Amino acid sequence: MEASVAPADLNLMKKNDVILMGVLAAAALILSVGISLYFAANTKMAEAVVYVDGKEQGRYALNHPQTVKISSGDGNYNVLEIKENQAEITEASCPDKLCVKHRPVKKSGESLVCLPNRVVVEIENGDEREVDSSASGTGGENHGKKGGIYGNADSSCICIFLY
Amino acid sequence: MHVKKSYGAVVVLLAAVLVAGFLAAESKSNRMERYEVKFFDSFDTVTVITGYAKSQEEFQEQTELLQKKLKYYHELFDIYHAYEGINNIKTVNDAAGKEPVEVDREMIGLLKLGKEMYQETGGKINIAYGSVLSVWHEYREQGMADPKEAQLPPEELLRKQSEHTDISKVIIDEKASTVFLQDEDMSLDVGSIGKGYAVQRLAEYAEEIGMKHLLISVGGNVCAVGNKGDGEPWRVGIENPDLDSDQSYVGAVELTEGSIVTSGNYQRFYMVEGKRYCHIIDPDTGMPSEYFPSVSVMAEDSGKADALSTSLFNMEVQEGLALVESMPGVEALWIMEDGGVRCSSGFEFDEEK
Repeated sequence: MEASVAPADLNLMKKNDVILMGVLAAAALILSVGISLYFAANTKMAEAVVYVDGKEQGRYALNHPQTVKISSGDGNYNVLEIKENQAEITEASCPDKLCVKHRPVKKSGESLVCLPNRVVVEIENGDEREVDSSASGTGGENHGKKGGIYGNADSSCICIFLY
Repeated sequence: MHVKKSYGAVVVLLAAVLVAGFLAAESKSNRMERYEVKFFDSFDTVTVITGYAKSQEEFQEQTELLQKKLKYYHELFDIYHAYEGINNIKTVNDAAGKEPVEVDREMIGLLKLGKEMYQETGGKINIAYGSVLSVWHEYREQGMADPKEAQLPPEELLRKQSEHTDISKVIIDEKASTVFLQDEDMSLDVGSIGKGYAVQRLAEYAEEIGMKHLLISVGGNVCAVGNKGDGEPWRVGIENPDLDSDQSYVGAVELTEGSIVTSGNYQRFYMVEGKRYCHIIDPDTGMPSEYFPSVSVMAEDSGKADALSTSLFNMEVQEGLALVESMPGVEALWIMEDGGVRCSSGFEFDEEK
């Protein structure tokens, strides 16, 4: 039944209806092109932002392989390597090497932190992380480094990131 | 007529979609924005606070209060440094065998939690284990500074030190608000519960100052206050202990309240003759635990979750499972050396594949 009704209805369609539908379709097309252009213009490149003592020291695009030596005073350093669209610390002067053990980062909000050297590498404009936080095994007894279990009071810095 | 009707319906539908779109955009502009702050001045680790606020100023004001509060706990639980104006763990340790020390209520709360967890875990975490932990600490520091010369502490020394770890000699006088260590050679080390206790108190404080959507992580000790601003639960990844793997997380849990805390051997350790010795010491053997790489505990109270994750790390999976199943509201997940996962009956998580 349906099949025989449809063609008959089509014939009933008025010229104005067709024009209006055409206009709507064109409007939809323009809108969608506009939106995609807007997002394309606002999509920034993923980059690794380096902070020392809470102050920004540099930005490095993840799609541009390079090796950066981050100096944090008193001869202390971290070597940041960017390749394959991710960033990792491959060498450091700190005693605990937690930053070197950390796996490479590439998603927004992921970071590499070296507390002894007061160095933070934060990813911006990367793909979104699938989690809000992570439970990791730093907890437990007697953590701490030379000079004190919780003794790191000199490296206080505050950075705010807006998503 | 038939076409007219359905055509009209399409127009109405389009209009509805447009209006809905505008409304959505409008509500989005009124909605609270998501902010994140990191700071580094407490508990020798990174603190990340993620939350929702109407403005950056508001969020900054609130999180500065949290930062101060956390710093206070950091100083209170410090075993190496004295701070002016407060009696902390170091003060109590220094007065061991001599005299009771008057301390803040917060310290009494922490030590009581420590004693309680000692009972509940059959002694698998012991806040009076400082005399042994300090030896391991020293050898680990030296071993990390000079890996070629890394050594294990002599057995005789560990045995001698372990004679001064009797938690019943930690005398808490709640009325007088004092703590006294009866053995002059004993010392407190609250590394296994201090951070968790502080995070728990911090979450409660955040609620008091009106923060409703918050995720606090102090070095991977994670606690949620409410859900996300959009009503969704927070997603917390459980880190893969295999740091060479491309897979960052073994899975993710959802949190709208309560805590998840992980203890693992993969971040803090040192190597002696090619073998890894982690930072968590089993009070029964005096040696670093090596049952499995990681265990995560979910519980409403962050201090309890912290204490339990350390104690579970110090026992076989089977023993730990039995303990967890006997505790209401507590769940745990173990990650084994081969990457396999074990979990308690009520542990819900999305496994990463």
